[in-house]
Amino acid sequence: MEPRPLPNINSDNREFWSACREHRLQFQKCEACGHVRAPGSHLCHLCHARAAQWITSSGKGKVYSFVVYRVAFHPAFAAELPYVVAAVELEEGPHLLTNIVGCRPEDVTCEMAVEVAWKDVSNEVTLPLFRPA
Amino acid sequence: MSLKDKYAIVGIGYTPQGRLPGRTSLGFHLEACANAIADAGLKKDDIDGLICYRAFPGTADEGMVTPYLVAQRLGIAPTYMSQDANCSRSHIQHAIGALEAGFCNTVVISYGHNAASSDSMTRMLMEMHPDDAAFGNFGAAAGYALAARRAMHEFVTGPETWKHIAVGQRKWANLNPAAQMHSRPMSFENYRNSRPLIDPFTLFDACLTTDGGRAVVITSAQRARDLKHHPAYIMGIGQHNPSVEPSRSTFMAGPTGAKKASQAALRMADISLSDIDACEIYDCFTYTVEITLQDYGFFGPGEGKDWFQDGTIEPGGRMPVNTSGGLLSEAYFMGLTPLSEAAMQLMGRCERRQLGPTTGTKSPEIIIASDNGGILQTHTCTVLRR
Ligand SMILES: [Zn+2]
Repeated sequence: MEPRPLPNINSDNREFWSACREHRLQFQKCEACGHVRAPGSHLCHLCHARAAQWITSSGKGKVYSFVVYRVAFHPAFAAELPYVVAAVELEEGPHLLTNIVGCRPEDVTCEMAVEVAWKDVSNEVTLPLFRPA
Repeated sequence: MSLKDKYAIVGIGYTPQGRLPGRTSLGFHLEACANAIADAGLKKDDIDGLICYRAFPGTADEGMVTPYLVAQRLGIAPTYMSQDANCSRSHIQHAIGALEAGFCNTVVISYGHNAASSDSMTRMLMEMHPDDAAFGNFGAAAGYALAARRAMHEFVTGPETWKHIAVGQRKWANLNPAAQMHSRPMSFENYRNSRPLIDPFTLFDACLTTDGGRAVVITSAQRARDLKHHPAYIMGIGQHNPSVEPSRSTFMAGPTGAKKASQAALRMADISLSDIDACEIYDCFTYTVEITLQDYGFFGPGEGKDWFQDGTIEPGGRMPVNTSGGLLSEAYFMGLTPLSEAAMQLMGRCERRQLGPTTGTKSPEIIIASDNGGILQTHTCTVLRR
């Protein structure tokens, strides 16, 4: 079976993906204005301060929006159909693009409470998926 | 000094369109450009500005199409040339800016792509959000579907609204012999039974892929007077780029860039929405038409369900929308599908689908056209008049 494509890891997001490997969800928090951002970025888009601290998220949030794939656009996902791709709003503020697992696609709703569910896919990459909380 | 009515579309270039295997993207650019130049009554040496629509990935048998190549093969040496690397859809602003600055006098904006019979469009879409691919998210459909789903949560919308868009536009395509869906009528029943895609969208919510090209010629109103056709004047133009990728957006249900872009365009044109006779709206998905018209202010959030009822946008309707069939039912040339149709309608060259007595609608004086890129991340609104 063709493997799942993996994220590009670079200097902006290495910290994020390293923490995921240890099953911790981490975001940058601006030291000047307190804004919590994702993805990792060189500066805060609200105030342009460079200084930021990595904080650990509770891993809890809610579904902001979601879609259900009925067609596989990549062979690695053919066996997963139908599957849910969602934008999840974390308690700390940031939105993440992810999958909702552990329930039927027809049971997913906007604003549904979810929590992180880790999926180890390679030595380097662990994906933060979400399941009903 | 106002730019209102200072520049105009004076020629439109078509090519065969649909599924045309064995042709290059470059060939479609050239055919569209040459036809647009001839349509304007100009010669190639009159063209000193060339703006190509976005760059697409090359294919196994063709490299990337650049404006250098298009210029070289057209046999022109422009004094202004550019190409969008992504989807910021600023082509008309570029044209007006270059004309106004005096960098050139007559600009061709060109699109060409063998998207239906090569893997170039698929490559572009697969590379669009590389970090989302690990989650099985590819291309543009899911991004628009995420926006549509959030809209369904925030106000009344969904397939019951979108069916009027898909079916209404198909009726226009049925009057347009060049439309890919010309001979394929669509009923609400057909729409309901459309093949699954990415919920909440089905196949009939999505635009076509097209082999073909389209080009327009833009010059000053002063030069336009001596040319072949009655020009379509650019009354107003505005752009707004909220830029946020859909997976990070906290305002996914709108307003999109359409709101501020249209306000700027209407302000420049010094008109209000009630002066608009028809709309040519970038319709990558049915929902894009709804959110664009909503953000333009034709109706409030969720009121589209009623606004679209009873054939509002169809032939004979009170506000015709996407009168060529649009990207959903005519052909996919990004913003040049709506823009060229707006100009053709104002020039009175649309034959059986011509707005006015032929189709039982108002004769158009002013048409609003849109273009948007990314996932509702960029928006350009253009107001054209006769
Ligand atoms: Zn800050």
